[in-house]
Amino acid sequence: MNFISLLEVELKKIRRSGIFIILFAAAVFMWIPAIFHGDVNFKTQADIGIAPEYNFLIQGFMGLAWFMFPACMVVCTVLICQTERGNHGMLKMLSLPIKTGKLCLAKFAVLLALGACFLFFAAVVYFISAGIVSKTQSYDFMLSPIFVLKETGLIFLTSIPMVAFFWLLSVCIRTPIFAMGVGFASIVPSVLMINTKFWFVYPMAYPFFAVTNEYAKLAESMTPKRIDDVLWGSIALFVTLICVFVSCFCFGQGERR
Amino acid sequence: MNIIETKNLRKTYGDFTAVDGINLHIKQGSVYGFLGPNGAGKSTTMKMFLGLAKPTEGTFLIDGKKFPKNRMEILKEVGSFIEAPAFYGNLTGEENLDIVRKILGLPKYSVEEALDLVGLTQYKGRLARKYSLGMKQRLGLASALIGKPPILFLDEPTNGLDPVGIHEIRTLIRSLPEKFNCTVLVSSHLLSEIELMADDIGILNHGHLLFEGTLEELKNAARLKGFPTENLEDMFLAMIAVDNEQRGSRK
Amino acid sequence: MSGFLELEKIKRTGFWPAVFGGGILAALVPVINTAVREEVFLQQDGSALEILMNENWQMMAMLNLFFLVASACLLYHTEYADNAIQRMCTLPQKENKMFLNKFVLMCGFCLIALAIEGAGLIFSAVRWFPADEKILWNGVLNMGYAFVLLLPGTLFMLLISAACKNMWISLGIGVICVFTATMLPADHFILSLFPFAMPFQIFAGTVPAVLKNYWIAVGAECAIGCFAAVIFFKVRRLFS
Repeated sequence: MNFISLLEVELKKIRRSGIFIILFAAAVFMWIPAIFHGDVNFKTQADIGIAPEYNFLIQGFMGLAWFMFPACMVVCTVLICQTERGNHGMLKMLSLPIKTGKLCLAKFAVLLALGACFLFFAAVVYFISAGIVSKTQSYDFMLSPIFVLKETGLIFLTSIPMVAFFWLLSVCIRTPIFAMGVGFASIVPSVLMINTKFWFVYPMAYPFFAVTNEYAKLAESMTPKRIDDVLWGSIALFVTLICVFVSCFCFGQGERR
Repeated sequence: MNIIETKNLRKTYGDFTAVDGINLHIKQGSVYGFLGPNGAGKSTTMKMFLGLAKPTEGTFLIDGKKFPKNRMEILKEVGSFIEAPAFYGNLTGEENLDIVRKILGLPKYSVEEALDLVGLTQYKGRLARKYSLGMKQRLGLASALIGKPPILFLDEPTNGLDPVGIHEIRTLIRSLPEKFNCTVLVSSHLLSEIELMADDIGILNHGHLLFEGTLEELKNAARLKGFPTENLEDMFLAMIAVDNEQRGSRK
Repeated sequence: MSGFLELEKIKRTGFWPAVFGGGILAALVPVINTAVREEVFLQQDGSALEILMNENWQMMAMLNLFFLVASACLLYHTEYADNAIQRMCTLPQKENKMFLNKFVLMCGFCLIALAIEGAGLIFSAVRWFPADEKILWNGVLNMGYAFVLLLPGTLFMLLISAACKNMWISLGIGVICVFTATMLPADHFILSLFPFAMPFQIFAGTVPAVLKNYWIAVGAECAIGCFAAVIFFKVRRLFS
């Protein structure tokens, strides 16, 4: 069975799981406070010199990158693991002629696809919210789709090591409360980590760091941090590969004991 | 005296009728075999007795108590095993039974008794999720039998058991009325199995009660209608086939 | 007695280590923060506990909420995973009672976690701030207040978990609720009454009139939560 077919199978498994409704609801709830506080964007413009439309998008994306996106990814790992372990589906999969590593990779790809789907929802709801706020504040908050796509893509790209880490947690920690707990607990300190010199050793801080830096680039009175892209990229790649490799190695070990 | 009686009991899910106005009469101290193919409505009927499904129409009495008014009183008298064993996978067999025991307010020794009845004593310390299919089934049965309730609802209790286990459980069910003076409603899709356990039989197909009475009465009724009576399985299959045909032509 | 049954059900689920682990993790927040930013903290006006709460409670409260969401989901997941709930429903006990027992159990866990967190705050105050005779009592008051404000969130999260058979659905709803709470302005009284936003409130430095309002709000929300639970279980039974 090739990887694409396996991916199709894995995507089929999450049908009717209700996860897309949850992800869409999360995207909606993420933008609701921004709609109600549309006027704050003008105040921020006066304070730090960022255009209201950029402030609206990036502030929303900061909440997304710091909390909502990582937390939703933890929820998605629970979904993927529970659908497999729930009714001994895992045993069936292990008894089929499929390489466990490949299966694990397919599941990781599904997790990334869910992440991409959530970011897509967040972008769609952004345009709706921007439309509403443009009306309520009599100011054009709508940004070019290319710019929004670029920012969304940046969050997705920088979050891959984090998603790989969450996947590793869910594969290696078989007690659900620990897998969830460690995942959630690791989200909280990222707001502190981005202010330290060692933010790059903490994958959960990557998307938040990237968005905060974008914010600094757009605000006149803020100075973006200088990043060595090659160094960051190398570390991110290393973290991702290690997490994926270990999770592929550990995948299904519990069932084969 | 009938300990369980239903009156035009009906359950529908949307436009699908699972149970269609059945009238059951289950005698006290008997084993009542509830027979029917998969999807006939046996489990739904039992679920209604336990308050797990709300009847769309009709009423039933269990030991003179009415549902839903006396649901709690009914549940105090009933031991049940529905569809598949229900348990806490993170607990051992013994711990699972201990929870049921405490809720029912039974003495401590009732756990050992129940384990012993189903032959699980040896494995009582093992986690329930690590039990084999047959052991899970036995645990479910023990959970129903704990405290020797006067009424037992057992939904296909021999599923997943090996031939020796099936024989043991059948013998146990058969002996329950005599041993503990209890009434057993046991469902199965095999007439040959019901024949070995039940005093009375109720045959259900597509939610309809096709027959109710003793095995002898069933044979006589079948003979009158021209069904084969030499082999019970053939007789049952013929009855179901004719009913399905009539139902099809009615549609 | 039946409350102990719920305790028995969570054996081997990792709850106990999670309670202590979560509590210790949250307790480490003020300790590490004060150790790293000692000078910044000491320059501020107010009592040691007030400063520590202002600087750390947001993060600690968030960890508490995450713990709350995860543990509530898991409590009902143990019921749904191997269909144990069906057996429980066929026993002569009301679902409401089981829900209430689980709520009591969750409250116990919250108390343990908050006691550990309180110890972390008191340690930081004693270690880095000038001596304060009333520090222990103030610590108890702060954590007691935090406990009371956690009750409505606990109740509603448990209700969400009871309503959803799939753990990821209740977990997802919980995450959305926590996120919404972080987005609500803490100084807006009406908005801060959202059950998941209340745990972000701090006892230290709050005037008695406001405290009283929160007490009343907690009472009202708990009453609504209990009423909602009773109605929910009744309706669910009707439509089963």
